[in-house]
Amino acid sequence: MTLLTVNDLVKHFPIKSGLLQRQTGAVQAVDGVSFSLEKGETLGLVGESGCGKSTTGRCIMRLIEPTSGHVDFDGVDVTSLRGAELKAFRRDVQIIFQDPYASLNPRMTIGEIVAEPLVIHKSGTRAERTLRVKELLEIVGLNPEHGNRYPHEFSGGQRQRIGIARALSLRPKLIVCDEPVSALDVSIQAQVLNLLDQLQDEFDLTYLFIAHDLSVVQHISDRVAVMYLGKIVEVSGWRDLYARPHHPYTQSLLSAVPVPDPEVQRTRARILLPGDPPSPVNPPSGCRFHTRCPIAQTICAEKEPELREVVSGHWASCHFAAVNPVPVGDGLGSEPSEPSEPVAVLD
Amino acid sequence: MADHLLEVKDLRMHFYTRDGIVKAVDGVTYTLDKGETLGVVGESGSGKSVHALTMMQLIPMPPGRVVGGDVLFKGRSLVKMKDDEIRKIRGNDITMIFQDPMTSLNPVYRIGRQIGEPLVIHKGMSRADAEKRAIELLRLVGIPNPEDRVRDYPHQFSGGMRQRAMIAMALACDPDILIADEPTTALDVTIQAQIIELMLEIQKRTGNAIIMITHDLGVVADIADRILVMYAGRPVEFGTTDEVFYRPLHPYTWGLMDSIPAHDMTEKSELCPIKGQPPSLIDVPAGCAFSPRCPYAKERCFVEEPPFRTIDGTHAASCHFAGDPGFTHAEMTRAGVSA
Amino acid sequence: MSPRKRSNETRRNEEHGVKDSRAGFPAGPPVSEELAHIGHDELAGRTLMGDALRRLGRNKLAVAALVWILIVILAAITADLWVPHFFGDPRTINSVTAAANRLQGPTSHHLMGTDELGRDIFGRVIYGARTSLVVGFTAVAISLTIGLILAAVAGFYGKWIDTIIMRITDIFLAFPYILFSILILAIVPPEARGIGPVILAIGLLGWPTFARLYRGSVLSVKENDYVDAGRALGASDVRLMFRHIAPNAIAPVIVYATMSIGGAILTEAALSFLGLGIQPPAISWGKMIESGRGYLIVNPGLVFWPGMAILSTVLAFTLLGDGVRDAIDVKMKD
Repeated sequence: MTLLTVNDLVKHFPIKSGLLQRQTGAVQAVDGVSFSLEKGETLGLVGESGCGKSTTGRCIMRLIEPTSGHVDFDGVDVTSLRGAELKAFRRDVQIIFQDPYASLNPRMTIGEIVAEPLVIHKSGTRAERTLRVKELLEIVGLNPEHGNRYPHEFSGGQRQRIGIARALSLRPKLIVCDEPVSALDVSIQAQVLNLLDQLQDEFDLTYLFIAHDLSVVQHISDRVAVMYLGKIVEVSGWRDLYARPHHPYTQSLLSAVPVPDPEVQRTRARILLPGDPPSPVNPPSGCRFHTRCPIAQTICAEKEPELREVVSGHWASCHFAAVNPVPVGDGLGSEPSEPSEPVAVLD
Repeated sequence: MADHLLEVKDLRMHFYTRDGIVKAVDGVTYTLDKGETLGVVGESGSGKSVHALTMMQLIPMPPGRVVGGDVLFKGRSLVKMKDDEIRKIRGNDITMIFQDPMTSLNPVYRIGRQIGEPLVIHKGMSRADAEKRAIELLRLVGIPNPEDRVRDYPHQFSGGMRQRAMIAMALACDPDILIADEPTTALDVTIQAQIIELMLEIQKRTGNAIIMITHDLGVVADIADRILVMYAGRPVEFGTTDEVFYRPLHPYTWGLMDSIPAHDMTEKSELCPIKGQPPSLIDVPAGCAFSPRCPYAKERCFVEEPPFRTIDGTHAASCHFAGDPGFTHAEMTRAGVSA
Repeated sequence: MSPRKRSNETRRNEEHGVKDSRAGFPAGPPVSEELAHIGHDELAGRTLMGDALRRLGRNKLAVAALVWILIVILAAITADLWVPHFFGDPRTINSVTAAANRLQGPTSHHLMGTDELGRDIFGRVIYGARTSLVVGFTAVAISLTIGLILAAVAGFYGKWIDTIIMRITDIFLAFPYILFSILILAIVPPEARGIGPVILAIGLLGWPTFARLYRGSVLSVKENDYVDAGRALGASDVRLMFRHIAPNAIAPVIVYATMSIGGAILTEAALSFLGLGIQPPAISWGKMIESGRGYLIVNPGLVFWPGMAILSTVLAFTLLGDGVRDAIDVKMKD
């Protein structure tokens, strides 16, 4: 069953200037994103900084208020909830943050941190809560007796586990994972990814996994959506995306990821994208990728391509979407073209 | 033995803190030749960044202190040099670029002036000449319209461009060694690819050596000729890129390779992480630092610290069993010794 | 940590001639990352507050300042018990002894001498401490209350609420502090003058700086993920402000508040000196200086001792504030 449906989600951050703080422009962080999520699946949302993936995740949870668009969760229109209903919705959708150092209140013990959701929603007596906290700590692989310690006494990986325990306490249906392993060492990343996998099976969770690391996303996702400058440019099952990318950006992204295999690195052809990503304040006309696209034609600057199903279950928004659209080994020079305005790189 | 450009011999640097002695760098040994790229790989706490800062005398002493070993640059000891001597080397013969391009550049000075600064300091150029050279350098690192951009301030440059500007600054005096400390970690993958490509191109042109410090095995596979793997301040494995990737000797290296989600896979499999966590540098485990987490540790490993020794030609490792017949990544995994 | 372990460290540190090492680290990523792995077991049970208090304890100057303040507080609170007994009640004028005793220098009976009405100066200084401390703490309390609440709301909600509150703050900040107090107190009719209006005047004018300070702190703490996490859990705004933001944002305010107490004492002394503060028979250091002015040549003690009292107490608060800042500064970086 479809747990989450996102329809035409838009988030513009206004830019104000002048004495009266008039709106002079907007950062078009998310500009018409639509996708759906089935119960029990993991959708990977991947893209570089400024593409709007984090903002999308937060809009779905109403941590940020969307500018327009609809989010349907379990049959309820989330975008119009308020007050007690909004609070009730929060039990069902939780979030795990990227920064293990900033996501836990340094003045609270980890027991208090993990128990907080229960306290806020008035769930159980004090004794019951203490028990539940111990249970949760054990589930995430921490010593249940450490509840009275403070976050600074734990390592990055352990803090992420505490964050996961906190997210689990209200038994949510959906967890938005906002770059949960990006700040961790490689060996710890693997531990946390395994934990997330195991928890998904155990508790029947659905994940929206936001990341910029393609290999991590590939490992954990069932389906993957690629974002560029506020739009989704490609969506498909994980195997298909990596084996047969249809969008030139996806392909460039895949070829840019350094592979820990010297032979492969030496022999594979690389697509080097010129210049920097354009500013989300002033996105290019037509297809947003056309300024850097190796196969751009005149139509690309004029008409924005739709996200259409190019192969069963595989969607791409490109006028020339094809399997591996960019002919590799084409001797693409690495001369950067004129970048458009200086960019404030956001995430 | 030919003279090496840089020789690091058993470098040891400890921090003396209120909580104890932090053994941040504990016996690092390697050599670097002209035109070579060395990749220094390790996780946080491995000492990979700190050892480079130690070489350049950029660690405050106290609380840090070099307690042993030496670093020879063209035969001269960097560690023993006086302040004024090493200042002539920094930014001139050996330069460094850092991770965060946002904070590495001074926001109140123009780019051209910052790039030209090493030239003014070390080569005695005038401001005007330095700025002309800065324009050339910006062109070299691929910044379009350098004549205009040279008068920009850092905030007018994007992250990728700032990192290029940093590289330009580092190359200004034509250094022998460029130390890059996680230069691409804060950048997007597509920009990262550009920067790495740029560094390789420049190396081809100028023949400088590069020390690339990173935690990303993909990046070293791309750029490095030789690799040093570090753990808990100690060197764990050293060899050519092919040797380290295809014939790794140390269980930690095996663990790292296993922790990374495989590229180009068709079926999903569970990752095999290394159990436990990196050790405290104050309380380094006795014997082999990796022993508490090593699935193949024997009694000897907990007691005796393995020496960092050459196993095979250019390939060195610090493990009691490295080089033993049958002690290879493939065979030990097959033997099913689980974590 | 066991006492034995501590002395080993100290011994090692001394061996290597290392002094307090915590402050020396470069702020950049490499070094602090390396140190992030300092034994977690060793750090077990140490709270951030505990660490800060420990650091404060090592700062000799701050500890001395704190001790002095405690002595003054203790003396002031217990004054009634011992001052009149030993030195005669300095609040009243004993006409019998007055004329005979006036303007004496320090003697064994009157440690600081007597004033123009024969009252023991030491006793008056002790009673004056009461006034100063009451004014200092109460006025700062008022400033804190107003300033923190306004700042919390402004910083948390932002947008037009923030703008309005900050403009009001700016207006208050623009008034010359002492002149405005004088104005307020001049408006107050002579019968109502005394400690109340003084406290009010100082408190009502001190809040803008607290507001500015706290708002800045709130703005930066608000950006942390744990605040978003709280919101994602369904926490109410009030809960976020008190449970999550306040404990983390309050640090700079504590420092400034400590120092402000000294400032408030100084201002009260100034106002009393000008005749706009405490009225006799209430005792205030500032008033003592004012009335002692005329007798400077005859018995400088009338001015000197209350002056020293002001100096030492205000200095103590300032030094304590400095020490508190140093103690929590490293923590703030964390």
